Amino acid sequence: MTPRPYALLAELTYRCPLHCPYCSNPATHTGGEELSLDEWTRVFAEAAALGVLHLGLSGGEPLARRDLPKLVTAARQVGLYTNLITSGVGLDANRARELQAAGLDSVQISFQSDDPAQGNTIAGSKAHDAKLKAVRLVHDHGLALSLNVVIHRLNIDRLPQIIAFAESLRPERLELANVQYHGWALRNRNQLLPTREQAQTALLVAQKAQARLKGKMDVVYVLPDYLQDRPKPCMQGWGRHYLTVNPAGDVLPCPNAGSIPDLVFENIRQGSLASIWNESANFNRFRGTEWMPVPCRDCPQREIDFGGCRCQAALLTGQAAATDPVCALSPDREIVDRILDHAWRTEPDDGLVFRQNPQAVLS
Amino acid sequence: MTEIDPHHRPSLAPRVRLQIDTVRQEPVLLYPEGLLVLSPTAHEIVRRCDGHTSIESIVRSLGDEFDATEEILRQDVLETLADLQQRNLIVLDP
Ligand SMILES: C[S@@+](CC[C@H](N)C(=O)[O-])C[C@H]1O[C@@H](n2cnc3c(N)ncnc32)[C@H](O)[C@@H]1O
Ligand code: SF4
Ligand code: SF4
Repeated sequence: MTPRPYALLAELTYRCPLHCPYCSNPATHTGGEELSLDEWTRVFAEAAALGVLHLGLSGGEPLARRDLPKLVTAARQVGLYTNLITSGVGLDANRARELQAAGLDSVQISFQSDDPAQGNTIAGSKAHDAKLKAVRLVHDHGLALSLNVVIHRLNIDRLPQIIAFAESLRPERLELANVQYHGWALRNRNQLLPTREQAQTALLVAQKAQARLKGKMDVVYVLPDYLQDRPKPCMQGWGRHYLTVNPAGDVLPCPNAGSIPDLVFENIRQGSLASIWNESANFNRFRGTEWMPVPCRDCPQREIDFGGCRCQAALLTGQAAATDPVCALSPDREIVDRILDHAWRTEPDDGLVFRQNPQAVLS
Repeated sequence: MTEIDPHHRPSLAPRVRLQIDTVRQEPVLLYPEGLLVLSPTAHEIVRRCDGHTSIESIVRSLGDEFDATEEILRQDVLETLADLQQRNLIVLDP
């Protein structure tokens, strides 16, 4: 039986005023002709009917959509729990009020650093103050606040300061996410990968903060991927609980699945969400455990990590159906070790590429 | 972490929404990073967490409706709320 999806990630646009070198957005996709308000309204209704309870409005920068409050209204009309995932840039009192009135449930704002100068450098834009203003607006309008900070070699040593800074902004939840190497982040992997010593220290800092803040603020620490010896349970399994619709309406098992070369995904303009979720060859391709190669096939972990990330397997081994090479049991683990060795010999600011706006690609 | 006592007036954390999942007809708590399916008992408890009603009153109101001793109900309520507090899904005093 086809599983039921619980959460939809709606990538409303790939446009963004920031230029984070760690951005997981595809580095080549322009976003095409963005779905209209009417098209998204249909997607939200079909998602809710499929069993989706949860909606993430993301991008790019979702605030770049002028019709964002109307999109929130459409989501709430079909009962979706709606979380805005934003850099905070572009939020003003007017929009905060509109979003609150539309029934937005929560706002997640990302920061690049606790330090304004470093934050602005990483964002490639004077964004830090605008983010602080966005935090104030979220509180003023009684909206729930989560914070997200993406962690990498350039800021990982500041983790204690980053946590203290986050606490001072009084979120209910703090997500410290080590970079996943997709999209722009993949291009900057050599500069972003932390060293083993950095990762060990950071883990202890994060664990101490989790213990100290228990019952007060939820602290989630996403481990640095390549440095582990078991892979992430990517999306809790392909086509199992999550689905993504990208700005152009492609329906994907995860936001990065478009990077797998031989998969061509269905588009919401050509079919219903239910038919794509249930019948798409691509969604079915890595469902369950049948598709798994050795060593996953016989491994007791196979229903826990689902063999890791399909996009990562494709990127690193050329085979989407390979065991995620981060796994120490993978015959390809040496690929990851070679990448680490090479990265640790690269200077962090040597050749860092900043994310470009797809509009620049278009024109 | 604050110890729960019967005088607290718990409420759902601001980011949390209680909803009935129309597909499965189950009560669920929704929050940005996920969801929690509630047992019928947990649902009866959470429904009463409005920030005005004390834990003691919640126990009494459950006693009026269900056939169980207050002692057992009190234990259920305290255990359920402690679990939700661990997950940062409720606040004890708004
Ligand atoms: C792609 S962004 C889009 C929303 C908005 N522009 C922002 O950055 O907050 C979605 C979320 O993923 C985080 N993120 C971006 N690139 C990432 C990466 N390579 N690994 C892990 N998280 C990443 C961002 O910090 C943000 O919380
Ligand atoms: S560049 Fe930064 S702010 Fe913009 S979409 Fe990517 S992660 Fe978000
Ligand atoms: S062999 Fe496969 S299933 Fe086993 S731990 Fe490694 S990736 Fe996971």
